[in-house]
Order: sequence, then structure tokens, then C-alpha cells
Amino acid sequence: MECKTNNPAAKRFTYRFLVMMLLYAVFSVLSTCGLLLWHPAGVLIWLLAVLPALPIGVAVVFTGLYMNEEKDDFQRAVLVQALLGGIGTTLVVTTVWGFLENYAHFRRLDILMLWPLYLVFVVISYGMVKARYR
Amino acid sequence: MEHHTGSPAKFKFEDRFLFIIVPLFVLLGILDIWGFHYHHLHPTGALAYMCAFLYSMPMIAFIVVLGLYLAEETDDFMRALWVQSILWGIGATLAIANFCGASARFGLDPHLGISSIQFVFLLVMIFTMVVIKLRYR
Repeated sequence: MECKTNNPAAKRFTYRFLVMMLLYAVFSVLSTCGLLLWHPAGVLIWLLAVLPALPIGVAVVFTGLYMNEEKDDFQRAVLVQALLGGIGTTLVVTTVWGFLENYAHFRRLDILMLWPLYLVFVVISYGMVKARYR
Repeated sequence: MEHHTGSPAKFKFEDRFLFIIVPLFVLLGILDIWGFHYHHLHPTGALAYMCAFLYSMPMIAFIVVLGLYLAEETDDFMRALWVQSILWGIGATLAIANFCGASARFGLDPHLGISSIQFVFLLVMIFTMVVIKLRYR
């Protein structure tokens, strides 16, 4: 069973990250509804397109802040390895998929899936790194 | 004047980059031009999967080489520099991808293919590395 941490930096990071994910979900729905219901034009389209990307950018900034605030070098190293594993796997999957799309007429992968895909790989990678050190 | 000092880990990273990743890029570049642009090959089935795997080899190699470097590097400052660059690379790539995905949904122009993601990440990472290095100069 997962142990709960008393680390204030980790707690802050978890809270901030969850808020950003909630905002991402809300903004994504808002952005899609905006397109389907209001049929916007001009600057409003651009604003609606930018909206879901904002929480992602902020979430990454919060990850950077956590790295600065975290005093435990081991915890930081675990997160760095998980992030590296996540981005590595995401890049490999997207490269393979892109090629299959271009040359083998594979089903098109929506670029909006990149963030969920990355998160899934980071979580898997985090679990694997933690299991390695257990 | 620029001073050139480096840890053994950095030298190893440079060697691996030069002798593994660069030849892979050159090889795949040749294969791409010769096979897909000159001969217009359209691999199917297992061959397509093999080609897709081949194409992702430089990226796999880069991630492995980078991971090895981060594990071997004893200089905490250099490691922090790389980690910051990677983090900015991830952040900017995801934000750009999300923006482009949403734009495409709205019928706007900046279209980004899924295979371009790796180049966006590398570009942002290199740019951030330069900016951070300048900041600490």
C-alpha cells in the first residue's frame, strides 16, 4: 500500500498538480463546447485553442518549482528518472506512430492525446523506478 | 574566451552522441531519401513496423545516452542544467502540441504531425540549454 508523505514540498506539488489537471479538464471541455456551440471566429478561436494548453504549461512550471523546493535528493532523482522515462517513451511511441501513419496508413493519432499519453508513461515509469529502489 | 572543461561523463556522452546517434541519423537520412523519396517505397505489414522501429532508433538512442549521462554525471550543477532543459522541453512540447491539436480542431492553420513532436522537443531543449547556460555565465 502506498505510504502517505509528510514532505511539505511533495504535498504542495501534489495539490498544485491536481488543481492544474482539474483546470485542464474544465478548459478542454470549455474549449470543445465553445467550438461546437458558439461557432466562434477571430481572436476568440485562438483564445479557446490556447486555453487547455495553459494548465499544462503551469503544471510543468510547478514541477520545476517542486524540484527546487524538494530537499530530498533521492526523491528528486526518482522524479527526474520518471520524467525522463515518460518523455522517452512518449517520443518513441509518437515517432513510431508517425511513421506508421505516413507510410503504413495507420490510424491517425490526435495530437491532443500527447499529454494524457505522457502522463500515463510518467506514472508507469514512476512506479517502475520506485519498485526498483524498494 | 570559452573554456573547455568537462567531466568524464560529458566526454562519454559526446562520444556516444558522435559515434552512435549521428551515424544513425545519417543512415536513416540516406534511407529516407533513397527509399521513400527516390524509390517511393510503401512498406506494409511487418516491414512497415520494422521501418517504424528503425526510424525511432535515434530517439531511443538519444534517450538512453541522456539517461546514462545523467546517471554518470557527478557534477550536480551540470545535471541540474540538463534536467531544467529537459523539463522545459517537455513543457513547451506538450503546450505546443495541445495548442496545435486544439487549433486543428478549430480549423486553424498551425498543423503539427505526431512525428514532428521529437523535433519540437529537441529544439526547445537545446534552446533552453543555451538560455540557461547564458544565465549562469
